Amino acid sequence: MYIGDFKETYASDQAVFVNTTSRFWLGVLFVLLAVFPFVVGDYLLFMANLIGITIIGAVGLNILTGCAGQISLGHAAFIGVGGYTAAILSSRFNMPFLLCLPLSGCMSAAFGIIVGGPSLRLKGMYLCIATLSAQLILEFVFVHWESMTGGIRGINISPPQIFGVVLDNDFKFYFLTVTLVIICVTAARNLFRTRVGRAFIAIRDRDISAELMGISLLRYKTYAFAVSSFMAGLSGCLWVNFLKTVTPEHFPLLESVRYLAMIIVGGMGSILGSIFGAVFMTVVPEGIKSILGLLVSVFPNAMSFLFPLQQVIFGLLIVIFLVFEPHGLAEIWRRIKNYFHLWPFDH
Amino acid sequence: MKKNIMLTLALVLSLLVSVGISFAGETIKVGAGQPITGRFAFAGKHINQGLMDSLNYANEQGGVGGMQFQYIYEDTGYDLQRAIASFKKIMAQENPPMMYGESTGVGKAMAPEINSRYHVVYGSTSFSEELSDREKNPYTFVSGPTYSQQFGVLLKYIAQQPKKNNAPHKVAFFYSDTEFGRDPIPYARELAKKLGIEVVAEEVTKVGAVDITSQLLDLKRNKPDYCIFQGYVVPPIPEVIRGAKDFGLDITFMGTFWAMSKMLLDKLGPDAEGYMGVSPYAYWYMDDVPMIQAMKAFSKKHHPDVDYRPNSYMQGWFTGMIYVKLAQMCHDQGLPITGENLKNMLPKIKDWDTGGLNGVVSFTNTNTNATATGKVYKAQNGKFVAVSDWIRLDE
Repeated sequence: MYIGDFKETYASDQAVFVNTTSRFWLGVLFVLLAVFPFVVGDYLLFMANLIGITIIGAVGLNILTGCAGQISLGHAAFIGVGGYTAAILSSRFNMPFLLCLPLSGCMSAAFGIIVGGPSLRLKGMYLCIATLSAQLILEFVFVHWESMTGGIRGINISPPQIFGVVLDNDFKFYFLTVTLVIICVTAARNLFRTRVGRAFIAIRDRDISAELMGISLLRYKTYAFAVSSFMAGLSGCLWVNFLKTVTPEHFPLLESVRYLAMIIVGGMGSILGSIFGAVFMTVVPEGIKSILGLLVSVFPNAMSFLFPLQQVIFGLLIVIFLVFEPHGLAEIWRRIKNYFHLWPFDH
Repeated sequence: MKKNIMLTLALVLSLLVSVGISFAGETIKVGAGQPITGRFAFAGKHINQGLMDSLNYANEQGGVGGMQFQYIYEDTGYDLQRAIASFKKIMAQENPPMMYGESTGVGKAMAPEINSRYHVVYGSTSFSEELSDREKNPYTFVSGPTYSQQFGVLLKYIAQQPKKNNAPHKVAFFYSDTEFGRDPIPYARELAKKLGIEVVAEEVTKVGAVDITSQLLDLKRNKPDYCIFQGYVVPPIPEVIRGAKDFGLDITFMGTFWAMSKMLLDKLGPDAEGYMGVSPYAYWYMDDVPMIQAMKAFSKKHHPDVDYRPNSYMQGWFTGMIYVKLAQMCHDQGLPITGENLKNMLPKIKDWDTGGLNGVVSFTNTNTNATATGKVYKAQNGKFVAVSDWIRLDE
């Protein structure tokens, strides 16, 4: 009978999947992910793609903010850099998508490294303001470097093509999104089993102690910005290829704030938290809208009152979650899992 | 007994389903993702109401060939992602042949799929030049003249005015640093040159800019006769007009559709006197316009507590009229009402009398799915009064 997990070797302590049960459920998840596009319609496929693209961005930010402790208000702009790189490479140089994708990530990472520079001297709120200025500068560049970015009108691109398959609808795009999400999440999870990931956590917990232990702050903070922005770049590239158009309006400051809210609600420093956060921030407003939409169809006269309630309810939900579980949805999930861990023979 | 109950249930259900199907056959669906909340709510809720009322009005008039319009809408909160989600949701669940959406951004994001996949006639809150490009976006139309065409109407009007000391008219463009603000400017520069109008200044600000001193000083230096705003709804227009007054500048200020609302006149108060602009629609208080009379009668019946409808409501109403017109044209030619057929009707709308709401409208221009028609109004005693007839740009 299964009574608990016993870690007898270092390897088992480091394992991502600690037991057969977790492997089993992961298998179930993969099967569901594979079956999903065949049973749902366009709308849910669009939402799934949106969530997937958001997860990659959120995982990126969580590595930087949740794990390495560097607050960033410029994440949307990094996503934008990736998006514009993809759009420019594909529209001007006809570069294939599979080449655009890593290049978008690299370009974004390069910007991340530059913006991350001040993080060596600045911490907390000060760094926050430094990244905010990066957001504002990049937004300005997107709008005003018209010869490159197409200015306010942006750039339209044709749908991406992979091995001869044109990904021109939500169904086909879904497989690309899911594959990339799995790769990014696995990479991020494994990052924290390496020296680099542990160095990030050490810097977050106390940078002076980390430096005393021989961790180079310069090198690892730069790594953190680079990795985070790389993922932001991938997310941006996917987003642009998904919508087949890019304008500066896609990457406003509010989007950066939304990503921060996402990882806080989901759980700072937790990869699973990023996923929960992305799902929460995307699905819950839609859910609230659908419920209120039903109410409006019953009481059409209350429309002007009911629709604005969406924002209020969503805001309240976030506050309630944070009050009752400051560690985010990932912590709630952990508790639920623990409850069922030895179920039904709990003691 | 149990068997009987099951049988009855099955019968009732199948009856309901068949009735549902027969109902479904008699409706023409119009879907809409409307910005009822969010930044654009001030207009979105009126556009939504206007479109809804317009289709209901058509239903009261007997619909199209006995078929009734069914309006399906969702709130998008003026958010790109949510708006696209709403679009796809409505298309997946209802598959209407006609859709309505918010903002230029959503139109652009959806354009590739509208053209290649959904084949649905698409109207929106936007007056963007790019969306109305018939060659690129044959399914997308603009419910009036594009911003460029609105500038065109104003410039054409200016060119007809008597010149001061026989010198060419001097115009300034005052616009926000957004797509909304910049959209018509390149075209306006060119047209001004063609009409012999001198563009003496271009002032660019952020949306809702508070400090407009440097722009005012620039206006003072260049002394334009006319200054046309683009890309604003209210601020900073009142500040600019009052500032110009304080400087003693003799400039006629003008605006395009979004800067032609009662809201702006109310904000301006007595300073509104003499403010001018172009609008594609008649105003609520123009009782001699037949369509306004119909609108008021409808409103009295269904919304007795309403005493004013803004120009955004007119936009919604007029879009509804276009949908009805397209459906009617398809029906008259014995064609099924599909997005494809409706799209093909669009360029065939010619000399259509809109009951004075939008003059006599044609979509026959070769390159644009917009009306290219507008009227110049001037503010007098807190209301807009027409100072020109309908000006057609392609004449």
